[in-house]
Amino acid sequence: MNDAAEKGIVFNIQAYSVHDGPGIRTIAFLKGCPLKCRWCSNPESQRHAPDICWNDTLCIGCGSCIEICPRGALSRTEQGIVRSRERCDDCGLCVKACPALAMFVYGEEKTVQQVLDDVEKDSLFYARSSGGLTLSGGEAMAQPRFALALLREAKKRRLNRAMETCALCTEEDFLAAASLLDYLFVDVKCLDPDKHREFTGVPNERILSNIRAVREAFPDLKLHIRTPVIPGVNDNAEEIAAIARFAREVGAHQYELLAYHKMGENKYRFLGMEYPMGDVKLDEERFNELKALAADIMAGNA
Amino acid sequence: MSCCTALSVQEQILQEKTLGKENPNRENHKRLFDILDTFNGMAPIIDVDRARLFTESMKQTEGQPLNLRWAKALMHIAKNIPVYIDDHQLLAGRCGTQGRYGILYPELDGDFMADSLANLANAGGAAPISVSPEAVAIVRDEITPYWKGKTFHEDLSRSLPPESHRLAYNDPHGIKARFIVSENASYRSSQQWVLDYAKVIERGFADIKAEAQAKMNELDPLSPMDTVKKRPFLEAVIITCDAIVLWAHRHAELARAKAESETDPVRKAELLAMAEHCERVPEFPARNFREAVQAQWFAQMFSRLEQRTGTIIGNGRIDQYLYPLYKQDKDAGIITDDDVLELLDCMWVGMAQFTDISLSPGGMATQEGYAHWEAVTIGGQTRDGRDATNELSYLVLKSRQASPMPYPDLAARIHSRSPQRFLWEVAETIKVGQGYPKLFNDEEIIPLHLAKGANLADIMDYTASGCAEIRMPNHDTMTSSSGAINLGASIEMVLRNGRMAKYGDELIGLETGDPCTFATWEDFWQAWCKQMNNLLGVSYVNQYVIHHLRSNHFAGPLSSCLHDLCMASCMDLHTAEKIPGGIDIGFVDLIGFGTLVDSLTAVKKCVYDDKTVKMEDLLKALDADFEGYEVLRLRLSHAPKFGNNDMYADSIGQAVDRFTQEYAHKYSPETGLHIDMRTVSVTANVPHGKEVGALPCGRKAWQPFSDGSSPAHGADLKGPTQSLISNYNTKNWDYHERAARLLNIKFSPKCVEGDEGTEKLVSFIRVFCDLKLWHLQFNVINRETLLAAQADPKTYRNLIVRIAGYSAYFTELSRDLQNDLINRTEQASI
Repeated sequence: MNDAAEKGIVFNIQAYSVHDGPGIRTIAFLKGCPLKCRWCSNPESQRHAPDICWNDTLCIGCGSCIEICPRGALSRTEQGIVRSRERCDDCGLCVKACPALAMFVYGEEKTVQQVLDDVEKDSLFYARSSGGLTLSGGEAMAQPRFALALLREAKKRRLNRAMETCALCTEEDFLAAASLLDYLFVDVKCLDPDKHREFTGVPNERILSNIRAVREAFPDLKLHIRTPVIPGVNDNAEEIAAIARFAREVGAHQYELLAYHKMGENKYRFLGMEYPMGDVKLDEERFNELKALAADIMAGNA
Repeated sequence: MSCCTALSVQEQILQEKTLGKENPNRENHKRLFDILDTFNGMAPIIDVDRARLFTESMKQTEGQPLNLRWAKALMHIAKNIPVYIDDHQLLAGRCGTQGRYGILYPELDGDFMADSLANLANAGGAAPISVSPEAVAIVRDEITPYWKGKTFHEDLSRSLPPESHRLAYNDPHGIKARFIVSENASYRSSQQWVLDYAKVIERGFADIKAEAQAKMNELDPLSPMDTVKKRPFLEAVIITCDAIVLWAHRHAELARAKAESETDPVRKAELLAMAEHCERVPEFPARNFREAVQAQWFAQMFSRLEQRTGTIIGNGRIDQYLYPLYKQDKDAGIITDDDVLELLDCMWVGMAQFTDISLSPGGMATQEGYAHWEAVTIGGQTRDGRDATNELSYLVLKSRQASPMPYPDLAARIHSRSPQRFLWEVAETIKVGQGYPKLFNDEEIIPLHLAKGANLADIMDYTASGCAEIRMPNHDTMTSSSGAINLGASIEMVLRNGRMAKYGDELIGLETGDPCTFATWEDFWQAWCKQMNNLLGVSYVNQYVIHHLRSNHFAGPLSSCLHDLCMASCMDLHTAEKIPGGIDIGFVDLIGFGTLVDSLTAVKKCVYDDKTVKMEDLLKALDADFEGYEVLRLRLSHAPKFGNNDMYADSIGQAVDRFTQEYAHKYSPETGLHIDMRTVSVTANVPHGKEVGALPCGRKAWQPFSDGSSPAHGADLKGPTQSLISNYNTKNWDYHERAARLLNIKFSPKCVEGDEGTEKLVSFIRVFCDLKLWHLQFNVINRETLLAAQADPKTYRNLIVRIAGYSAYFTELSRDLQNDLINRTEQASI
């Protein structure tokens, strides 16, 4: 099997990431996600296939995209350029024709070699900071063959390897990935299975069992559990305490709370989607209290 | 601001100030803040005493050797200029009136000084200057009449060949700068320079005078050269040594007089101690740390009276030459680190009061915001190649972390063995967000200068000087200032067959043909090479003429007597002749490197490779400043750009650099000088941009160019690591004809938040060192803060930002430059 030639869909490669693992890192974002979190800040990552999008703020209204479309899938409306998903066959001619980069695609097919050649551009920075590659998504493990090939090839190139995942995949794949990792981030949104299904569309049993399985198989692997704190979902002491206890029980070396933010809102618009969270805000004081609570539990004080 | 943003230390202090809270550093830096309160935010006052006394003396000494005249003028100043001791200050010595002030150099601009001052008095603007009617009258009646016809700039204007003159000036008298191939030698007496302060501290001027006296006794009375050249040099040295000592003693008298009438016993004791210091130094060797600082202070203040050094005389390696007496006093228990911090504060706040006044339009445009940066250097290596960091290096960093002022600029020398603690404290200082320290890279600078011919120990001991330049204070011997080439003009003239949008039909460069007839990229590139060669040729002629004219106008007996090689050869530092053992390193500046590379890349990509844009259409669009050609402008602006580690653009950058290196390699030797290629714009990217119409990179007419060797505004989209690597990509490592390359990086405070952020910034600095880039500096600030400061300058009066090799108060910059700063890409990480 030739790992370097394995192909997958990648929607971004982000150099100089300083908040996603040890040192200075480059994140490869893999497209596609089995969860449908209402608060998702990367809606462009949800579908497996590339998404053609339109950015209203960049568009100059020249009409090049409409003119070139062979299937008449684009039209000018009061809401701007609208794409008919029935007519569009994702040929991408409109994207090439757009001078303003207003028509653009989230996601591109790349080989492992292409991705890692790009990642290796910063190898000096990894060497000086103990940084490296971080796989993220969407859900990195939603393209398991590609993700595993990336990790194996990255290991061959002596790149430090981290992954951000929701842990929803087969146990076999998850353990295979963990065997190749130096650092693992797992998101746990809530422990209550019904609530989990309500807000993400899927149950959480597999997620939790995968985490336990990894801890058992690789007791030395750095395991960093994170929870996005979402207003109305899990911004309460009960929920956070439960996750923190779980994190402690499985021997996570770090448990971190991430504050809900709306930075993904624009992307919903580009994709022609409604932003499902509306105007809800995270109460900063409450967030700080929850952070203190989680820290207490991790320290064994609560 | 939301919970997702972080504030720099400076922003936090400013924000708390709006809530009525005091700066938390005031408590531990009371003296500094008390003195700062006496002049903070005031418009600098023009003091004419130095100009008046200098002129009086020069009138009396016509016909004598220039260095002797200069020494006599210094003596006249030392005897007669008012001396001051400021309240709260522990250091004596200033070169003009109390408060924020500037002095004048009529040898530079005496002929038009009266008019300039009258204009300044009414100018206002972002950086106003206060000129009294009495000052204007003195200049008009006593100064200007003498200097008319005698200044350097008039001589230069007469001496430049016509093809140089018309690219440098917009008027026949050479006053209004035309930034095509500009010169900046006419608005400073010397290129940036650093004195050998160790000599002042360890030997004192009595000993230097004795050395000159001994040499005088050995002169051969029958040797015409000894009589004509060496004797006046040595006489000048002796007079100058006497002058600075006399000036110091006048301060001692004043301190004693003040002590007598002082009622506060603490201040009385301080004044008496100051009197004692001023009696001792700089005549004799300093006996302790306090005297060492006072000796250094007198030397740098007297140097300001001697000449206008570009960017103001540097402070050199302060943590090295002050260290022996620091160690001695600490070991003896007679000084504490708090005492040391207080003395450093006294130096900084003294420097902050002095303003470098530019009267020529060229000088004003290229050094905005009262720019002066008397760089202080710390870290680096010793003469024998060991790490030089010491406790004093950390104290300097500590004092600059707490300082609310942009002055003086701080430079940290970094090398492959710099201790982690040093880099950590450097990173913490950068995170304060006031733009310093700037970083100098030993791993580039030392080998590069060895290739240029420097001595190993001297280059190991280099000091930062000026903006991004360096000096070897006993080895460098060239003080001629440089010129600059407008790189935007170089491509505009390819597109307009030797003409420029601003100047219509006037033929400025060469007629390289109608670009529509160029069939291939190679044709276009060859046309650019011809235009560039022409500009390089003009700049070299300028540099040569300037270098050989300056010695008729400038002498520096103080700077010469502190230079080993000048003393050995009895030659003035400003001589046009070759000083034995010296190395003559100069440069010409290339302004708008990123803008040029992006424009060449856009033409190659869109016109020749992809053929998405026709040359005819490009020219029409440029004529129209892209009005009605938005689609075309966008197409061009989306071509690959310098700053993203994309070899499509970077290989063009490398070719541009190589082309200039080859020119320098071929033609420098015949001038007897190193005229190397520097990419340090200071604020010149703004006035140079104002000369040039729309360019193929999508930049609109008259807008600023990219600064230094940084990517163009908004062009570096792939993060700061790629920007650093692009800088590496565009250098030609097999040539040594490059000089300083200034690189600006703007980080959001979020990016460097907490200890983790500091650690990553340290790693980033290590990689900068590995990549052997010359220089790096940072702005750590939120864009929102800059916008808020623009809207509410009063509240943000103390906001300090990085420009180019120096920091300044944001609200004292012109709107153009403020916007330029706002538009520099902010590197946030997600």
